[in-house]
Amino acid sequence: MVELNGLTRTFGDRVVVDQVSFALREGELCALLGPNGAGKTTTVRMLLGLIGVTAGSARVAGVGIPGARDEMARLRAATGLLTETPGLYDRLSAYENLALFGRLYGLEGQRLASTIERHLTAMQLWDRRDDLVATYSKGMKQRLAIVRAIFHDPSVIFFDEPTSGLDPQSAREVRHLIRSLKQAGRTILVCTHNLAEAAELADVVGILQRRLLAFGPPASLGGQDQAGQVVIEVTGDPRQAAAALAALPLDLQPEVEGETVTVRPAGERVPAMVEALVAAGIGVRAVVPIRRTLEDVYLATIASAE
Amino acid sequence: MKPVLPLFLRKELRDIRGNAQVWVGYLILPLLGVGIPVVLLSLVPLDPAAPGIDPDFVALFRFAALDPALAHFPEGERIVRLLVREVGAFFLFMPVILSSMGAAMSIAAEKQQRTLEPILATPVEDREFLLAKLLAAAVPGTLVTWGAGLLFALGAVIVSLVRLGHPVFPGVPFTVVLLLLVPLAGGIAALIGMRASMRAADVQAAAQMAGLWVIPAAMVLIGLIGRPAFRSVPLALVALLLFGLLFWRLFVGTLKRFDREEILVRWRR
Repeated sequence: MVELNGLTRTFGDRVVVDQVSFALREGELCALLGPNGAGKTTTVRMLLGLIGVTAGSARVAGVGIPGARDEMARLRAATGLLTETPGLYDRLSAYENLALFGRLYGLEGQRLASTIERHLTAMQLWDRRDDLVATYSKGMKQRLAIVRAIFHDPSVIFFDEPTSGLDPQSAREVRHLIRSLKQAGRTILVCTHNLAEAAELADVVGILQRRLLAFGPPASLGGQDQAGQVVIEVTGDPRQAAAALAALPLDLQPEVEGETVTVRPAGERVPAMVEALVAAGIGVRAVVPIRRTLEDVYLATIASAE
Repeated sequence: MKPVLPLFLRKELRDIRGNAQVWVGYLILPLLGVGIPVVLLSLVPLDPAAPGIDPDFVALFRFAALDPALAHFPEGERIVRLLVREVGAFFLFMPVILSSMGAAMSIAAEKQQRTLEPILATPVEDREFLLAKLLAAAVPGTLVTWGAGLLFALGAVIVSLVRLGHPVFPGVPFTVVLLLLVPLAGGIAALIGMRASMRAADVQAAAQMAGLWVIPAAMVLIGLIGRPAFRSVPLALVALLLFGLLFWRLFVGTLKRFDREEILVRWRR
């Protein structure tokens, strides 16, 4: 549904997006992470045909990029975009905003009216449909902007920071909506700085900093270099436990952290470690494998790239 | 596209209403355009030999006497007719200023308010988008100018009736210019303003750029082509043809230059 092959964009000598390749299947949700200026928005703009491609190619909703003008119009009809700021016309009502965009997407008459009613009702905005958007709260504007991005029924949707600046309740509603769109089979690319949100929503996560530094399911990214790291909770002196583990011919590097001992890497050696501790008279209360959070992975990936 | 145009127009009109800088212009220019000439017509001396007459008015009488089209009128009427004809050029400046102002605001304001990217991400064709923006910029300026022109004509008729005892109508060339040349002049100015707006990052920069491009061009065009158009219908038709050609060339050129990427990231490929 979305496929990038070595997508590259330069502005003069400055490479903003460098040979980015990945693919998303239908109904898959990808969170694209990266610091400011990492090239996320530029990537989305290329995928919408809004800006040109310096090298490489892409395919979105069956339309090849780069492509002819009429092909780009077909691409835009099949995609939806939520920009970082809602970008609504403040001096028009919510209904008028959607009517304008609906007509640009080719919706007219009763079909347009019923589509607007359905979406505004779902977003709890129907009662305020005739109010100027300028009078809306930030959360209401964001919900309306989301309606504008999806109400023409696109197969691929791009969300740029969908919950940025929203209060927790509104952010939760937006996440719920994104999840329901995914369940409805939409292919979704979310650019976000919110790592918890990415971990919660995404099937796959891409970490972008000019180049695509990592790509895969959040769990596998978190587990990659975590393999075998464990925290051992002991009943006795943790320093004595660390010494007992260090004495084993297993090249362990135990570290005492408070009342626990952390061993990395432990891997398959956990039974031998427990046996050695018990033999040394140290009780083992628990052996807990550590999985790094997406934030850990993100920060480590970005740091290694720098 | 047709159903979109009224919505675009409504949006642009609300933008004008909500922007004091712009609607003040829409109010002040017509007031000046109608008020100053009508006051001038009311105060201009009708007798060049009147005691204490300003030497500038004497020069105006001499100038009017040289015009063969006015030669057969009495001196008092000659000066009234000259003024009615010559101030007509202001009604060509009015749509130029108003439309370029509206056009300069159109795209740059959307950039500033971050409303442009969602619009450009729709399947709207370049031609449709430009046409909507063009109409939204040129129509209000044209309507205001028509209204002001009508008021001026009414004022001229009333003042001449009072002062000369019979009405002086602005004439057929004035009507042709007002009805046909004014929309074209507004359209040309709007296209130039839109080009400035496409290149500028904010409204102020766009307005300055548009002013810099439009005002000198308008002075030359209106001075050379527009002003003579008030003298006779054939001259008005020639001006119409020339303005029409210029408008078409500018529209096609603007369409060719329209580049979503340049507008969004100000990067020229």
